Amino acid sequence: MAVIEVSELRYRYPNTEKLALDHISFSVEKGELVGIVGSNLSGKSTLCAAMVGLVPHFYKGAFGGSVTVSGMNVREHSVGEVSRKVGLVFQNPFTQITGAKLTVYEEVAFGLEHAGVPREEMPRRIDRALSTLGLADLAERSPFAVSGGQMQRLAIASVLAMEPEILVLDEPTSQLDPAGTSEVFRAILTLRSEGITVLIAEHKVERLAEVADRMLAIEKGRVVAFDAPARLFNRADLAEHGIAIPSVVSVCRSLGVSKEDGSLPLSVSDAAKLLESAHA
Amino acid sequence: MRLSLYVEGDGWVHRLDPLTKVIIAVSAIALTFILTNLVANGAILFVSLALLTAAGALRRALPVFAGALLLALTFFIIQGLVYPGNRTVAVAAGPVALYREGLLVGLHLALRLYNILSATLIIVLVTHPTHLVEALVRRGLSPRFGYVLMAVLQIIPTMADQTKAIMDAQRSRGMETEGKLWTRIKAFIPLMGPLVTSSLISTEERALALEVRGFGDNARPTFLREEHIPGYGIVLRWIALAALVSGIVMRWGFGWL
Repeated sequence: MAVIEVSELRYRYPNTEKLALDHISFSVEKGELVGIVGSNLSGKSTLCAAMVGLVPHFYKGAFGGSVTVSGMNVREHSVGEVSRKVGLVFQNPFTQITGAKLTVYEEVAFGLEHAGVPREEMPRRIDRALSTLGLADLAERSPFAVSGGQMQRLAIASVLAMEPEILVLDEPTSQLDPAGTSEVFRAILTLRSEGITVLIAEHKVERLAEVADRMLAIEKGRVVAFDAPARLFNRADLAEHGIAIPSVVSVCRSLGVSKEDGSLPLSVSDAAKLLESAHA
Repeated sequence: MRLSLYVEGDGWVHRLDPLTKVIIAVSAIALTFILTNLVANGAILFVSLALLTAAGALRRALPVFAGALLLALTFFIIQGLVYPGNRTVAVAAGPVALYREGLLVGLHLALRLYNILSATLIIVLVTHPTHLVEALVRRGLSPRFGYVLMAVLQIIPTMADQTKAIMDAQRSRGMETEGKLWTRIKAFIPLMGPLVTSSLISTEERALALEVRGFGDNARPTFLREEHIPGYGIVLRWIALAALVSGIVMRWGFGWL
């Protein structure tokens, strides 16, 4: 059962001439973890925004085609309504802190309060979100007094408390150090194991390739490929389309080392084993 | 950088809900305008100061009072010199004389000034702005407007941090920011562009983050915390309102005070 259905999606920002999204079609099954990759300005962020309805409701502009998430046509519902089923996390952890609440616990409650969730429901949801993201012992801290990785996890927790079916993350680790990045990826895997469908736009292709079921490669608003990482990164034409390749893959390609089925290894450990057996 | 003037505390005054404190403060300010009797005004001031002291906020209030002293003195001097009802000389120095009637009017104005200040300080020093705004939103203030009020106080310090970061970046590229006044003024101009741009970007990012938290639908929100009005809070509200009403009655009903 496809939980995300995108059909002939076309979008142009106001006062621009080129399409930011140019006839994009794809569908995502429930529980999948899909990575979105592409060079800068390829349309990754625009696509993420379209998943929640920010495109077109917030950005206005010219919109064509359809995006259906969790059974809702994004064009026919407000961003608030879609947000109850689809959560969106942005790059900058800092600007996702509302600034209206004094503690981490209350910050997570912000979305619940505005969604009109009954008070009795709130503590359960907040506790669950905080413990899923490993933030339970920071509950009484000021939201601004935490590290970057913790702040981004707080943003995810705030969105998670709304109990969405789908979580979209737009380059969530771009402003984080390696430790913060690991925390966020760990959290994403936890969420995926709870059955939440996850879409992540990322530049860190290595990490993404390790966890994604399928990867959507975009260039200039068009889909270049949508396939499992192993098959996607085997393609030789990715570089022309501005798609970064995990270093492991390009090293193994240059060394002429590949797995039995002809595909290139995606992780360092796989590559190490192959190289050892190749030179054994 | 703390922008809020709020003084932390846990005394009985702090535990009063924000609206009660607003009612007390507004009553005090209204009374100080209604009543002309000097002793009555002094009594209002005494009550306000007592509340501030009970909250442990008096020390923070003193600089404000000291700052207003100059203004209070001008009341005395100007009224003492030129108040139309001046008859009896209190202090004379050559051709210049301060009259008793004027000085008393000056005292009244000074007391009024300090009453307004202390009542306002009860709100500013002893009530956290987010609690006050939440109390108003519970009673019907638009949640969007409430958010703007609350966020201003937490977000302005982050703009100050951004300013520092931009200035550091510019310094590291050779911009002179210290030295003569003119140099420092000139250093301001290239700061404006990046600061405004980055603030606009941050604002858009924040607006997006709020939208996806369901903020845009302007439905009535529910609240995590229950509002807790202590019993003595209700009592104080009634006392404040009763004082206000009796003040009105005594002034315009009986012509006293």
